[in-house]
Parts: sequence; C-alpha cells; structure tokens
Amino acid sequence: MKKFIGICTLLLTITSCDKKAETAVEKPQVIELSTDYNSVFNQFTKQNDTLYVVNFWATWCQPCVEELPDFMKINNEFKTDKFKMILVSLDKGSDFETKVKDYIKTNNISPDVYVLTDNKRMNEWIPKINKTWSGAIPATAIYKNGKQVFFTEGKISYTDLKSTINKFK
Amino acid sequence: MKKFLALALFATAFISCKKETTTTTDVANNDTITKTEEPATERTGYNIGDEATDFSLKGTDDKMYSLSQFANAKGFIVIFTCNHCPYAKAYEERIVALDAKYKSLGYPVIAINPNDPAAQPEDNFDLMKTRAKEKGFTFPYLMDEGQKIYPQYGATKTPHVYILQKENGKNIVKYIGAIDNNHENANDVTEKYVEAAVDALLKNEPVKQTETVAIGCTIKVKK
Repeated sequence: MKKFIGICTLLLTITSCDKKAETAVEKPQVIELSTDYNSVFNQFTKQNDTLYVVNFWATWCQPCVEELPDFMKINNEFKTDKFKMILVSLDKGSDFETKVKDYIKTNNISPDVYVLTDNKRMNEWIPKINKTWSGAIPATAIYKNGKQVFFTEGKISYTDLKSTINKFK
Repeated sequence: MKKFLALALFATAFISCKKETTTTTDVANNDTITKTEEPATERTGYNIGDEATDFSLKGTDDKMYSLSQFANAKGFIVIFTCNHCPYAKAYEERIVALDAKYKSLGYPVIAINPNDPAAQPEDNFDLMKTRAKEKGFTFPYLMDEGQKIYPQYGATKTPHVYILQKENGKNIVKYIGAIDNNHENANDVTEKYVEAAVDALLKNEPVKQTETVAIGCTIKVKK
C-alpha cells in the first residue's frame, strides 16, 4: 500500500510538473484570419525583450514553402529563449478554412499563423513593414522592443536566419 | 498621413521647380537629396523619370517585339506578369480591359513574363501561348528570354507595372507599382492606380501617385 501511495504521489508530481512546464513555455497556437493589419502588427511590435521573427508567406508561394521547414527548425531551436515566430500568410481569405488550415496541419506548422487579408490597404501596410519592400514574398522581418531590427525580401537560408537571430537575441 | 505625403511631394516639386530657374547645379543637388530620402533608391532598377530600355523579345505569336515598333504610341503600360502566380492570374482580365481601353488612346499594354521556365515550368513559352489564347490576350505577351530585361527595369515580382511615356523619342518611367488596390475582388477596387496614371498622362498632367506596392510573386530565377 505504501509503495502504491508512493508511486501515486510520484506520478502526480510528474504530471503536475509536466503541466506547469507546458503552461509556462507553450501557449496554444493562434490561427487567425485578420482583415486589419494593425491587429496583426500589434502581435510583433510589443514593447518587450522578446525577439519576434515574422515571415510573410503563402501556401501557393513556392519559395515560401521551400524555406518554411528551416523556419520550423529555427522555431524549435529557439523556443526556450525569449523568442516568438509569427507567420503572416497572404493567402486568400476564402482559402483560410481549407488550403491554409490543411497546410498547417499536414506540415506541422507550429508558430502562430495570421492570414492577413487587408488587401485594399496593401499600399499602406507594406511600406509600414519596410520602405524597401516591393511586396514580393517571401519576406522576413525581425522585431525587438517594438522596433524592426532586420528585414529581407526573398528567401533566407537557415544559417543566415540563425546568425541574424543570434545577433539580435 | 497620405495628405501630408502629398503635401510634402507637392512642396518638393515646387521647390525644385523654383530652383530650376536659378541654377542647374542646384537642381541636380536637390534631385539627389530628394532621391536619397525616397525608399526607391534602395532597390535596383528604374526610378520615376528614368529612361526605360527598349528590347527585342519574342511574343506568343512567335513575332519579335520592340517598343520602337509602336510608332504611334504615346507610351506603354509594361506589365511584368506570368502564368503561375495567383496574384497575376487574378489580374488577367483587368489587364485585357486596360489594353482595350488604352491601346486606342496611345498606351498599349506590353506584357512580359520575367520568370525562368527552368525554375517555374508553368511559365514556359508553350504554356504562355496557351494562356494568351485562353484568356484572349489582345496585347503582346513576351518571354524575357535570358532574363535580361526585368533586372534593368527593377521588377521584383509579378504583377509589376511600369508606365512609360514617350518624350523626345525616349521612354520615360512615369509610374511603378500595382494595377489597383484590390487583387482579390475587382468589384471592390477603390483606387485604380494604373488608370489614374495613364489618364493623367493623357491630359498632360503629372501623375499623382507615381509609386505603389502590393503583394506579388517573386520573379523565379534558376538556382
């Protein structure tokens, strides 16, 4: 009996510890459709020392989906640090429930995903991300303390992304 | 913000105009200053006011096309576009409509596919022919063979529009950017950037919004 209680307590402690660790480190993934760029931008321009890596992509964009596995790898490597990855999809709003959600599921996309359909204000929000951005995707931006510290248009390699993150971390 | 920008642009235009009458060196200086402040200089390719290069590229009708052939044109709506990109596809009918409206007024559409078919098989020459037929393209749809032209223009994506106006035999860049402000829904467009620019040029008025940006597909280059 004593043994049994002992095992039970041990099990309980392990499970509760597990839970604690879970809630502290990982929040549930956000998958959202947004028609307002401000609400999406607010997610990565927070005034804190977390490093936000923001990737603009779409399921139909070949170079984008080619680089996503590297982003997933980076996300796993840095997830214990003050680090957050946010994927901003430029898929059609009508593809949100189907193509986008399917893609996330099939490819185990773990970071938060916002499908941004603020189409009519593209000419307003694209320069707000970066004045040099022509609008071609993929594009990647890094933010800290509400400020952009890095931006690139086009694909970024695993090593370049990693060294850039380490530089600003 | 937009108002402020417009005012600022207006002010800069006014100031440079004023200086023009005094000395030419001042104008040059002033121009460089305004240019460095613009985001445009950070990318390669043309800025507004630059002379655009002519080319000789093959169209889907197997004929070669150059801008110089269009003796009666007042200018051109050059659109870098392609078969595969969803953003480009969304604009196909609107591009046909632009050509229908402006060719007779002196601004024909010239479409150029900048992608390397080795990197994007859907954009190969045969499939360009198929697409041109299917969609009833009324304008030349050219292949940027060897990808020599798009880097000179500074196109980075599809669709990417350059409006040119003939001035003393040169083709001067007057507008760079998007077709309008809603790729997804043509019925919900509130700003027709290209139409507004060509309409202004036809009236000999300055183009109000000379540069816009929109999401597009990167130009595909063979690795």
